[in-house]
Amino acid sequence: MNQADVSKLVSKLRIRVPAEPRKLRNIKGPEGRIDKLRKTVTGLIKYERIELNSNRGQEARQYAERLISEAIRHGDCHKPTMDIADYWLLEKELIHKLFKVLVPRFQDSNTCYTRLLNAPRIIHSRNPDKVILELKGNPYPVLGSNKMNNRFLIQNVLLDAAKYDYRQAKYAEFAKKIVNKEEKIDTTETEAPSIEKQQSDDKLTQS
Amino acid sequence: MKRSTGLIHKSIFCNNHSKPLSSSRFLSTQEAVERRNHLFTLEKKRQHEKIGRIEKIEVNYKGVPKNCTLVMNKGISTPYDCARHFTEWHVETSALALLDGSVYWDMHRPLNENCTLELLNYTVNEPQQVNKAFWRTCSFLLGACASVAFKDTVPVKLHSFPGPDIRSGSFIYDIDLPSLEDWKPTQQELYTLSAEYVKFCRRGLPLERLEVGEELAKEMFVDNPYKEAQIPSIASRHGNVTLYRAGDHVDISKGPMISNTAQVGKCTVASVHKLSGSPNSNVKQLYRFQGVALPTNVMLNHFAFSILVDRAKKRVSFIMSNKSYQIFIYFFSFHRYGTIIIS
Repeated sequence: MNQADVSKLVSKLRIRVPAEPRKLRNIKGPEGRIDKLRKTVTGLIKYERIELNSNRGQEARQYAERLISEAIRHGDCHKPTMDIADYWLLEKELIHKLFKVLVPRFQDSNTCYTRLLNAPRIIHSRNPDKVILELKGNPYPVLGSNKMNNRFLIQNVLLDAAKYDYRQAKYAEFAKKIVNKEEKIDTTETEAPSIEKQQSDDKLTQS
Repeated sequence: MKRSTGLIHKSIFCNNHSKPLSSSRFLSTQEAVERRNHLFTLEKKRQHEKIGRIEKIEVNYKGVPKNCTLVMNKGISTPYDCARHFTEWHVETSALALLDGSVYWDMHRPLNENCTLELLNYTVNEPQQVNKAFWRTCSFLLGACASVAFKDTVPVKLHSFPGPDIRSGSFIYDIDLPSLEDWKPTQQELYTLSAEYVKFCRRGLPLERLEVGEELAKEMFVDNPYKEAQIPSIASRHGNVTLYRAGDHVDISKGPMISNTAQVGKCTVASVHKLSGSPNSNVKQLYRFQGVALPTNVMLNHFAFSILVDRAKKRVSFIMSNKSYQIFIYFFSFHRYGTIIIS
């Protein structure tokens, strides 16, 4: 009961975080692992798109997300956040980039800040799987774009024409309804003056 | 799926197969198809032998994996052969070739001079011409499928198919069935036609192109009065008559067409409508076969496809202008009446 609510202490990341951390094999043990990740996070903030082995890419992504999320949450006047940025970014000019460029870029976004894509794999090669890790909103050409949005594709042309037909049918329906209504109004209007006339005739007779 | 379509096919067409062929006809549909195919083969062989000494041409390929120059045989090598120098992906997905950035060329049409070559598939940035070629091929295949789907006792005379109009929602083939006076296909029969269509496409046949002289074209279509009548006007306009072949079905078309029937994916023969000809023409009545199809690599939700099929069931008429004019009037009357009510 006395435990603090974790969600209030740490902002929730918008990516899935696995329960267990990955071991990145190296001779220095856990310390070496963190060193590797620091290099990768620095590289990501610097170049905005990097190609990595799958393991290291997926692990580094979590640290990069956390770093950007903390920077957005607390801003550059918060001592602990500044210390974290100082620790994770090996090149110190990147601290400015983090607070002056990336925070304004991502502060209104509703999704995660990085994108992880599988790189093409050479068949039957013994190399490990590669991934591409990038910051969203980078200036490079788009990777893995969805080509199905092109309106000239045959299925889109067909569906577009079907939609057009459906709309035209609906317009015709509306037009018919309105014509019917108008006819009704016309008939009532033509009857109305005759009633007035009768009334005026009545008045005349009364007077 | 394959087995069940086979069963449907049997159950529908096995009723009175024992009737003898009517003696009034010169050739049965099947015999005529075989004869035409034979003549096509002979002519193709003759044209190939006429080339003589083989000369080389340089083809500058543009596109993935990288730009390069291929040395090919003049009058023999086709864009399809060029694609085979790259990968299976190029061979299977390329529908049309683009020469010198402006001329759309069939994949199976021999190259005659030095040129630059691009291979177009269905997902290129501007696929309008590929779509047209696809739609035209679908019409062509509809003719092929209709001429094999009926029993021997029902003569099938292919009339013509109009140019590709994708926005109309269906591809068309007009066919004369002289022995069927007033035929309204049941849903089951439409399923069978669709199954025949799928079976034909799954055979993965290349679409071959051949240009022949007027005389030979007339000789090939001697059994079909409509085609025979169309040939002189085509020949006078273009000099030659362009023929296409898939399997053993041969038909006249301006082209270009796609590379292979295996590129036709989801397809349905949606409806058959009766057309009655004008009183002064020699055509009494025709049946308009309508269908809708999509390329193989296109994944479309079955509900969305059912919308397209429902739309393809409506009869497409060439005198669209009148109808669209009416719709136009409706649209504007809607606005006019709208303002009156507000005031």
